[in-house]
Amino acid sequence: MENSKKIKLSTSSKAFYVIAYVMVTLMALVCILPFIMLISGSFTSEQFLRFNGLGLFPGEFSTEAYGIIFKTPEKIIRAYGVSIFITVVGTFLGLFLTTMTAYVISRKDFKYRNALSFFFYFTTLFNGGMVSTYIYYIRYLHLKDNLLALIIPGMFNVFYLLIMRTFVQTVPTELIESGKLDGAGEYRIFFSIVLPLLKPGLATIGLFLALGYWNDWYNAMLYMNTEAFYPLQYMLYSIQQQTQALAQIASKAGITVANLPSTSLKLAMAVVATGPIVILYPFVQKYFVKGITVGSVKG
Amino acid sequence: MKGTLKKVLALALASVMTIGLGAVAHAADLDTSEEVELTMYVVSDRPAGQDVVDENLNALLKEKLNCSLKVNWIGWAEYANKYPLLFSSGESFDLAYCATWLNFASLAQKGAFMSVDELWPTYAPKNFEAATESAKKQATIDGTMYCVPTLLATYNAYGPIYRQDLIEEAGIDPDMSTWEGMEEYLDAVKANHPEMDGYDVYSAQPEIIMTWMQSKGFNWIEKGLPFMFIDPTEENPKVFTYADYDGVKEALEMTARWNEKGFWSKSALADTDTTKTQNGKAAMRIHNIDTPAGYAAAPVDPSFEFRFQNVVKNVAHLPFTQDCMVISNTAKNPERAMAFWDLLTSDQEVYDAFYYGVLGETYTLNDEGQFQITDVNLYNTSAMWAARTTELNRNQMGTPDWYNEMRAGYEDQIAENDAAEKYTSFVFDQSSIETQVANVLNVQQQYWWPMELGFTDYNTAYDEYCKKMEAAGLQDIVDEAQRQLDEYVKTLE
Amino acid sequence: MKNGRERGRKEGFREEWKKNKPLFIMAAPAFIFAIVFLYIPMVGLIIAFKNYRYDLGVFGSAFNGVDNFRFLFSSGTGWLITRNTILYNILNMVTSQLLAVLIAIFISEINKKIFKKVTQSLILLPYFISWVVVGVFVYNLFNYETGFIPSIVAAFGGEKPNFYGMPGAWPWIICLFNSWKWTGYNSVIYIAAITGVDSGIYEAAAIDGANMFQRIWNITLPSVRPTIITMLLLQVGRILRGDFEMFYQIVGNNGQLYNMTDVIDTYVFRSLLTSSNIGMTAAAAFYQSVLCFVIIMLVNTIVKHIDADYALF
Repeated sequence: MENSKKIKLSTSSKAFYVIAYVMVTLMALVCILPFIMLISGSFTSEQFLRFNGLGLFPGEFSTEAYGIIFKTPEKIIRAYGVSIFITVVGTFLGLFLTTMTAYVISRKDFKYRNALSFFFYFTTLFNGGMVSTYIYYIRYLHLKDNLLALIIPGMFNVFYLLIMRTFVQTVPTELIESGKLDGAGEYRIFFSIVLPLLKPGLATIGLFLALGYWNDWYNAMLYMNTEAFYPLQYMLYSIQQQTQALAQIASKAGITVANLPSTSLKLAMAVVATGPIVILYPFVQKYFVKGITVGSVKG
Repeated sequence: MKGTLKKVLALALASVMTIGLGAVAHAADLDTSEEVELTMYVVSDRPAGQDVVDENLNALLKEKLNCSLKVNWIGWAEYANKYPLLFSSGESFDLAYCATWLNFASLAQKGAFMSVDELWPTYAPKNFEAATESAKKQATIDGTMYCVPTLLATYNAYGPIYRQDLIEEAGIDPDMSTWEGMEEYLDAVKANHPEMDGYDVYSAQPEIIMTWMQSKGFNWIEKGLPFMFIDPTEENPKVFTYADYDGVKEALEMTARWNEKGFWSKSALADTDTTKTQNGKAAMRIHNIDTPAGYAAAPVDPSFEFRFQNVVKNVAHLPFTQDCMVISNTAKNPERAMAFWDLLTSDQEVYDAFYYGVLGETYTLNDEGQFQITDVNLYNTSAMWAARTTELNRNQMGTPDWYNEMRAGYEDQIAENDAAEKYTSFVFDQSSIETQVANVLNVQQQYWWPMELGFTDYNTAYDEYCKKMEAAGLQDIVDEAQRQLDEYVKTLE
Repeated sequence: MKNGRERGRKEGFREEWKKNKPLFIMAAPAFIFAIVFLYIPMVGLIIAFKNYRYDLGVFGSAFNGVDNFRFLFSSGTGWLITRNTILYNILNMVTSQLLAVLIAIFISEINKKIFKKVTQSLILLPYFISWVVVGVFVYNLFNYETGFIPSIVAAFGGEKPNFYGMPGAWPWIICLFNSWKWTGYNSVIYIAAITGVDSGIYEAAAIDGANMFQRIWNITLPSVRPTIITMLLLQVGRILRGDFEMFYQIVGNNGQLYNMTDVIDTYVFRSLLTSSNIGMTAAAAFYQSVLCFVIIMLVNTIVKHIDADYALF
């Protein structure tokens, strides 16, 4: 009796592990293969791509796309700097704001938690649209060419707030209650009891905030006029649009530049923008979570 | 009629005013004692070496007009969003580039620009005099002039851009001014080079049938609505569309056959490569004369011999507003801006400094006066394309001989047959039918484009297309166009 | 009566303030942030009802009733694109969340540390690939002449499929790429939620002799249920919004596919490309907002009735 149960258990577990490994491996392959094609495509000459399409290996090796991106390397390096700056500052501020607010709206003994949740949620349903937001930012808040215009829009995302709330809700109420009984103030409870328990949530939302900042080019397009303030993604986007325009307005400008890369340039852009993150991601993730929670316990 | 009257009155008023002040209407009477900085917006990315050009130009402007020019650039990555915002942000600037493709008429109607009714003749008299009557009419929206159009003539001539070397290789002699000739050429290319596309289609409007209509003598009256035509040789032209013209099935049959022969990819509308002809992937495309001139000036492969053949029967000038200069409604120095414009478009020295930069440093000239930018990584020609005039503008070095000859030929044709020219200054005011226009453009893309490329069977798809166009409000557009056109024809007498 | 209630509410607030002052203070930064950066620009909503003029601005322009809304409905396409938008969102919501939960469970159960770490990073890769580049892939996979899939079919003796002439295939293609892009991203949330489960509960279950599937069914799934429901509700609140970039880059200008692929955002983009009509753009956005608002209010009320803990607000 006892024996047969044990055997049954291990076969079903075995079956599960087989499925799990196969599925996860497949998923990983589906994710990495296009990336390999992307890298090899970025190192292929445009003319070869035009006639043969993408492959797993570079068809006719060429660095013309990278040549265009790194024509002035200082520009790209500076753009990396801007991106890193807004990502670090924005993620930190955003995480602070999101977590603290999520804590408040998850406290069952707070009378206005639903009203407040709705107040925040409403902004995801209605917004003033690009024109009024633009005018407001430029004319009234004077955020043109100000890095704050890149940090503010991504700092407080209501979706993240509500996801964060589900993490905060897993913290047992008893812990908070016992903290109160021990005479700890609300701030202390939040910073030294709740926050350390939120590691997975902090890591997740922190990652999302950081990815959001890293990938954002739209706000830079609207509010940054000076190239020195361009984050990486927008710098790359603008190089690509310039190249594309050059081909299209050639007859107007009276200058024809033959054979500008287009597809390979798009691929090379993706490599330049993603490469460093993919390499750094595991390390950053590890220390980032540690740093946040250690800091919070001290505070 | 009303518009013209109003303009005449405005002109009279302007001259009375200046005469009243005891001066003749001439740019020279502008008070230039105070030095000002003019701000100008253009759509393009700032070239890396632009400082040299600006410095040189500003020294010249200081001397001639006691002003300097600051150019602000709206990059290609941002112009679609930011150009319209420019006029709502309240930022003060003097002049800007505008164009039909930047929705000049719609912006003017919605109050983005300052009227130039008085400014233009008063402070840019030379330019005003050089502008044709039809250019002035094109600049007029709701009875007021809102821009200074370019003085560079361009033509509606349209037709195949093809390669002489491929013709010689095949040993054929097709008449490229006919559709049969083009088909013969494409057949030969397909046989010799199966790896090439015959005809160049990418993810945009295929312009085959639109050009086919023009080769039959019908002209569009608004390029943004490329399904609506008139026969300009009629006395009171009747507006008609693909939906009322059964003859178009002949063209649909031709393009269906071309599709079957594999002249273009079955996935052409998903292809984003816009340079296939230039790069030797496709053998022919239909476009204007400037495009092949550029290809020929800088060929990807020296063996490519690009040629152009116009097939449009009634040649006319293109609207001059396709490149124009507007004064912002927030301008601080509109008078000086206009005087600057007058100088720029009449003085070769200023024009060269503005458009090409510093001779020997940013550009060079050959004996024929053709230019070449010394280093395209650093310098470019100006992006204020509206400043070009037929007299002052220079061709790119390497421009083929046939380019100027053909252009001169179009002038002669217009002089001989002004049927279409009469209608170039007709501006279709769409403000009362914006909803219908939005809907019809959608139907055009959804049903016409695939049918034109033979992807759907025109025997059934044509009727469906007509039905959808009707439901989208096509008749309202035609009626409105007819009404405005009739009114316009009356003013011609 | 009215006075009494008002006084009651005021007292309620005062009491609450006394009781939870720190919570008010902690919520204040976000509250002020929302007012300043999100609520004030909302005055722009009135543009939807105005004939916007550049010289008169947002406030000066004249009202024109519902004129701006007409283009959405006058040709009968309004219903089609609304339906498409909703169907796509439901399809994408179900597939990408379901896959994400599955992958999260698998990854969490796998013990090999390196395998776990590597796959966890790899599945995030697609998130970085912009839709423009996805568009390049789609074209290379599906184009008739040189596309990867038609070529394979032909190599095995089948008849080359012409995908760009088959509108019916595209909802699945779009759904596939949407899942591809978002599964990894979403699974990060679920992996985190599973990590948060007290390991003691699992050990207790193991002692009770629960097998793998029972354990997942009885412990893991219930523990991520609140997250799943929140994620679904958040998606429901955007049910009328289409991911413009995704549709535009995958479908491009292929009119043939539109009946199956057009969503409100792509339709509006195409309609207004040549007129830059700010009022009409605002009207379309307003229409989407109102419908989203109605739907989420409805769904949220239902959820609240079933279990108040799972409601968004």
